[in-house]
Amino acid sequence: MSESTRPANGSAQRPTSGSTQQPVSGSAQQPTGGPTSESAQRTYEWLRPSPEEHIGWDVDVLYGPWPRHPHDTGLDEVRAHLRRSPVANALALSTRGPLFDDEAGNAETIRDLDDCPELLPVGTVDVRDALTAEDRLDELAAAGVRFLRLFTLEQAAEPGFPGYRRVVKLAIDRGMVLLHDGDPRRFGPPLTDRGADVVFLDLHAYLLADFLLMARDEPGFRATTRMLSGPDSIERAVDAVGPRHLVFGSRTPFMDISPQTMKLRYADISPDDRAAIATKNVEELLA
Amino acid sequence: MPIIDVHAHVGRWQFHLTAGDADTNIAQMDRYGIDLQIVSASEAVVYDALAGNAALRETLESRPRLYGYAVVNPNRVDESAADLRRCLDTGRFVGAKIHTHYPGRMPGCREMAEAFDVVAEAGVPLLLHTWGREVTLLPELVEARPGLRVIMGHAGGDAWREAAHAAAACDRLYLEHCRTATDAGRVAYAREAGVPVERILFGTDATLIDPCVSLGVIRDARFTEDELERVLWRNAAELFGLKVGTALPPVV
Repeated sequence: MSESTRPANGSAQRPTSGSTQQPVSGSAQQPTGGPTSESAQRTYEWLRPSPEEHIGWDVDVLYGPWPRHPHDTGLDEVRAHLRRSPVANALALSTRGPLFDDEAGNAETIRDLDDCPELLPVGTVDVRDALTAEDRLDELAAAGVRFLRLFTLEQAAEPGFPGYRRVVKLAIDRGMVLLHDGDPRRFGPPLTDRGADVVFLDLHAYLLADFLLMARDEPGFRATTRMLSGPDSIERAVDAVGPRHLVFGSRTPFMDISPQTMKLRYADISPDDRAAIATKNVEELLA
Repeated sequence: MPIIDVHAHVGRWQFHLTAGDADTNIAQMDRYGIDLQIVSASEAVVYDALAGNAALRETLESRPRLYGYAVVNPNRVDESAADLRRCLDTGRFVGAKIHTHYPGRMPGCREMAEAFDVVAEAGVPLLLHTWGREVTLLPELVEARPGLRVIMGHAGGDAWREAAHAAAACDRLYLEHCRTATDAGRVAYAREAGVPVERILFGTDATLIDPCVSLGVIRDARFTEDELERVLWRNAAELFGLKVGTALPPVV
C-alpha cells in the first residue's frame, strides 16, 4: 500500500508527524459563539454509516445468555441489531455451547440458524472434555460446519494443556478454521508450522508486532480488527503482511459495532484492501 | 457542533503504532472535527512526570487547540504539587492527571489520598485512570475533599458497572468511556444507574487509540441532539471553563 493511498470516501490521510491538514466539517479555529444557534451548521459525518463501513462477513457474533452481562440477548434481538448495522452476514453461535453444553449448544446453533440466511453456524468443543471432542467434531463436520470456535478464556485452558492440544489436532486434521480467543502470543506458537487456518479474535493493538512476526510465516494466521485500536494498526498490518491476515469481527452483541465499522471506514487503505478485510477474506475461507 | 476531547496524550507509546509529537494530535483532530483536546504527556504518565510536564509546557505554547493536564505522581507528591502549580500558572493547563498502573498506586492508599489533596487544593478537575473495582472507593474519597472533581478515565475499564454506580453516588464524579474494548451498553447502564448526561464526557485516549473508536461508541449510544451537545462539548466546556472554537485561554 502506498502512503498516498486514500480511502474512497476521501477522508483525510493517516495522521503523520508534520501534517498540515485543515480542519474538516467546520473550522475549529473559528468562534462557534452561541453553540445552539450554530450547532446546525456543523454536522457530524461520522454519526451516519458510510458505504465504506459495509461489512460482508462478521466472524464474531453470539447469541444467548451470558451471566456476566447485564442483559441476555436472544437470536431475534441479535438479528435485529445486525439489520440496523452495516453488517450483512455473520458467523454465529449460541452461548450454550461454550458456557454449558457443547453438544447441545452445537445442535441449538445449527437448528436455530437454519432459518437465518444471513447467519452461518459456528461450532464449538469444550476443551475441558477433550475425550468427547472427536464425536463433537464429527457431528459438526456431518452438519457441514467448518468453523470451530475455541473459548479457552471461559474454559481456563492454557496452550500446553493436553485437552487443548488434542482438540486443536483433531480440528486441524479435519481442515476446520479455528476462531480462537486469548492472547495470540501464547496460543500462536503451538499453532505454527501446522498449516492451520486460525482467526485470532482478541488481538490487541498492543500485541500487534508479535502477531505480525507470526503472520509473516503463517499464511493461515488471521486476526480480527476488533481491538486493533491504534491510530494506524490496520494500516501497519496491511503494510507488513497484507490485507489477507485481517478480517472483521465485532463480538456482537457484547461490543458496540460502530467503533469497529468506523475503523475500516477511516483506515487509510485502498478500497480493495478494505473489501478484502470486510468480506473477501472470509469468502475465501468459506469456499 | 463542536467537540472537546477530555482524554488525550501527546508523545510516543511503547507499542507498534504511530504516536509522536503534537502534530499527530492535530492531524487526528482535523480528521474527525475535534476542536479542542486536553492532553497529558505520555512521558509524564509512564516515565518522568516532571520532565514530561515540562516538555508539554513548551508544546502547548504554540498549539492553542491543545490544553494540558499536569501529571501528578502519587509517589512524589511534594514535587508534583509544586509542578502542578508551575503548569497551571502558564494558563495552558486546565487540570491534573493521575495514573494508577504506572506509579503502582490505587485509590485507597495513603499516597493516592495525598495526591488527591494536592489536586483538590489546586481546584482543577482531575482525570484519573480507573480500571477496576477500586472505583467503589471514589465517592467517599471525593466527598471528603470539597471542590475536588474527578473524571473517571475509561469509566472504570472492566469495572464499568461499579464505576457507573460510583458516579451516580457522587455529583462530583464524571464518566469518560474511552477504551479499546467497547463493551456494549456501558453508557445506557450508567444512565439507568442514575448518572445524568451532564456528567458524561467525551474522551478518546488519542493518540494511543484512534478517535473513531470513541466516536463509534457515541454513535451507538444513540444520544438525542441535545444530549450529544452535552456529551461532546458542553459538559467539558463548563467543567474546564473553556470557550469552544475561540482557542482562547480558559476562563477559570
